[in-house]
Amino acid sequence: MASETEYVTLVSSDDYSFVVLRSSAIKSPAIKRMLDPAYGFAESKTNTCHFENINGLVLEKVCEYFYYYQKHKDSKDVADMDFPIELSLELVMAADYLDSTVPFEENSKRRQDMLI
Amino acid sequence: MANQRQGLNVPDIDFETTWGVLEKAFLEIHTKNASALSFEELYRNAYKIVLKKKGEELYNKVAEFEARWLSSEVRMKIVATITPPLQLLTEGSGGRALSSTAERRTAGENFLRTLKESWEDHGVCMGMLTDVLMYMVSTQAQQHAANDGTDLEKDRVYCTDHRQPSIFAKAMGLFRDQILGSLDRPNGTQLAESLTKVILDQIQMDRDGEKIDQHLIKANVYMLEGLYHSDQEVEEEKLYLQLFEPHFLSTSAAFYREEGERLLKESDAGTYCKEAKRRIDEESDRCRSTISESTTPKIQKVVEDELIRHKMKGLIEMDSGVQYMIDNDKFHELGLVFELESRVDARKPELTKAIVSIVQDMGAAINKAAETTSVAPPAPAGQDDAGEDKPKAGSTRQINQQTAAALKWVEDVLALKERFDVFWKTSFNSDQTISTALTRSISEVINAFNRSSEYISLFIDENMKKGIRDKSEAEIDATLEQAIVTLRYLQDKDIFETYYKKHLCKRLLLKKSQSIDVEKQMISRMKIELGNSFTLKLEAMFKDMTLSEELTGGYRSHIARLGQADTKRVDLSINVLTSMTWPLEAFRGAGEDERESRNNLLFPGSIERIKTGFERFYAERYSGRKLTWQTNMGDADMKATFPRSRNGKPMTHDINCSTYGMLILLLFNDLPTTQSLTLEEIQAKTNIPLNDLKRNLQSLAVAPKTRFLVKEPMSREINPGDRFRYNEDFSSKIIKIKVGVVSAGNKVEGEKERKETEKKNNDSRGFAIEAAVVRIMKQRKELSHAQLLTETLTVLSGQFRPDVNMIKKRIESLIEREYLERLEEAAVPSYRYLA
Repeated sequence: MASETEYVTLVSSDDYSFVVLRSSAIKSPAIKRMLDPAYGFAESKTNTCHFENINGLVLEKVCEYFYYYQKHKDSKDVADMDFPIELSLELVMAADYLDSTVPFEENSKRRQDMLI
Repeated sequence: MANQRQGLNVPDIDFETTWGVLEKAFLEIHTKNASALSFEELYRNAYKIVLKKKGEELYNKVAEFEARWLSSEVRMKIVATITPPLQLLTEGSGGRALSSTAERRTAGENFLRTLKESWEDHGVCMGMLTDVLMYMVSTQAQQHAANDGTDLEKDRVYCTDHRQPSIFAKAMGLFRDQILGSLDRPNGTQLAESLTKVILDQIQMDRDGEKIDQHLIKANVYMLEGLYHSDQEVEEEKLYLQLFEPHFLSTSAAFYREEGERLLKESDAGTYCKEAKRRIDEESDRCRSTISESTTPKIQKVVEDELIRHKMKGLIEMDSGVQYMIDNDKFHELGLVFELESRVDARKPELTKAIVSIVQDMGAAINKAAETTSVAPPAPAGQDDAGEDKPKAGSTRQINQQTAAALKWVEDVLALKERFDVFWKTSFNSDQTISTALTRSISEVINAFNRSSEYISLFIDENMKKGIRDKSEAEIDATLEQAIVTLRYLQDKDIFETYYKKHLCKRLLLKKSQSIDVEKQMISRMKIELGNSFTLKLEAMFKDMTLSEELTGGYRSHIARLGQADTKRVDLSINVLTSMTWPLEAFRGAGEDERESRNNLLFPGSIERIKTGFERFYAERYSGRKLTWQTNMGDADMKATFPRSRNGKPMTHDINCSTYGMLILLLFNDLPTTQSLTLEEIQAKTNIPLNDLKRNLQSLAVAPKTRFLVKEPMSREINPGDRFRYNEDFSSKIIKIKVGVVSAGNKVEGEKERKETEKKNNDSRGFAIEAAVVRIMKQRKELSHAQLLTETLTVLSGQFRPDVNMIKKRIESLIEREYLERLEEAAVPSYRYLA
């Protein structure tokens, strides 16, 4: 149960489930943390994350972005991903919620140091 | 904006309620029950609070929560491990003695383990907490960025004081304050201090050879390295650097100071070196495995200071120190000493000093030995004057003894150098500094001995005459090289030249040299080593020899052409020597008056004819040259028949003897066998100087193997009135007999001779100095006294080291003769050259 599976499930506030590759989902530091078995939070036990504040429509786009990013991250001159204009605000908020890269990196490094 | 957020499911929330949820979750995290919690829920709650601009309150709440947790739960756990043995340890000085090592070790390890675990738990929990509070942290960071310039999402600001440390740093600081900063009990010591003491105690156990848990200590050290004195996290203010390292270094210094002293007292130098090296390695290992690598250079320095720098002198001077090592060829131990000192100082002052003084001591011993042997039978010259009854043979032995002393001296010096060269190579890693010091001290040894020049020349002489007889080319080469080596160190090369010329002269004229080739090799070696001018005169001597051979040949054919060939003709071979080049006084007897009589020798007719014949021949060839006969240096081959030589039958011998000997023997040619001549009669008939006559008669009438004459009365000494006659009973199995003349061999100079050599030498030095001064002044025109002195010394250093007083005298004399004048107006004493 606590093992790291290849796929993880992301569940939206309106109960839509998205099964995505773990490797793509952990693009989001928040998700990565949730699923980190080292901490042993509930999410990492079940390999499932519930998002109470993101609906299915938005979460679908987020998942799509995860894959889009994973596919193109090493190539150059990639066109921006297309998304419906009416979702933009909600997407920005979701992105803000899921992505807090800077301190995450920093803290992660220091924790590594601390534990030798 | 706010409305839109509502749309993202952010209901109005109550801070206290939300915090309540978080606080409860944090407690779960600290008690390792995270699996019951949803990260997303906590994250979302923190997110909400921050969005409600309650970030600062959240921050403070978290800090408060952590402080409470640490100061109660965690601290209690740690304090509980401070058991009596540790209390004793942390309280004061007597602690170590009052409890057993084992007790302290277990207690210490317990303490360290708990602390380590607490720290690690704290780290993990804080990691989880900060992750959950990631949103708060990230906005904090963005706030920092915003204050740096860019205006980013101002509505998220929760905290106006941008110098607030990150929650993680804050948590670390809390650990420092609440745990390390707290007292182990009321009025007790700070835990941090206890920690330092416990670690030091454990390290001490390690040094004493007990097993300790290195990882445990390392983990704690790591903690100290991860914590800072203030929340600003300044690198220099690491707790490790502030709380631990200074104590560690000072206790280590004290420990090694004591250990060094103990080792110096209790063990020998070799062990000390090994121990010191082991300790140094051990400390650097300890830094790697137990403490922190950053301390390595510092502790190295401490150990080096205590065990090497401050102890080197004591170590070298120990009974089993460097002196002992050298005496007993302890190459390895010497290598260790060398290694140790080169660790702290590339110049190795102590070791070098010790080596120099040992070389000088050993050298002084050699010099002293040579002096004692040569003087042991007190002053031979004085004895001779005192009483003629003293056996001559004794005096000969004495001379041999001195020669042997000279040879021994050179060999000893070479052996000394050889020995230290081996040390230098095997133990001192061919170190440059030590090499220089060795060269200097050996040179001092050689130059401290006032007869070194003479002895070195004698050494070469002895080898040329005997030493190289049965040697291979390589061995000869080595011998020559040895001679050159000593020569290299010699300062007074001019004195050496004088002696060498004298010795070479004898070798060439008396045909004592084993090989002219080797002689020439030696000269060319000297040429390389000492320069052209040094060997000029020596080479001239060889040239004279070659010319003389040609001359002899020329004369022979000249005689043949004249048709004077008759059976009774005496063959002549001659050496014409340039008087300036050859040190002919080497052959001169002691008395001045004898020289006068030399030319008035009375030759028998056949010899006289030859002599005048050659003089005529020479005058024809080289007009304007004057020949002076050095009859005392010549030798002659004769045939003599003795009636009962071979088992009572007659036998003819080839006799080789000196010219004087020949003259004496010729007298008996014309005499009836029974008739005898007195000493006075012989002298009157030959006009040989008395001393030379006595010496020759001694070899002809006293020496057992060449007793061609019978002396009456039979005694060793030749006295006035002694009678000599032909020895009919002479018998010998050898056909060719060489008559040695007493004291013809090379020997150490007597007192008188040496004084003369010195005087001569001083004279020639005087000339050399004058020449140098004039040359310098001619070039410079004007020069201060000091500068002139320096330059003169430099110019002459290749030949000898001039005495400053002598230079001054020479300058005076040059001024008198108006080569130079004093500059009156100059500030410092100066001279001007007068063209």
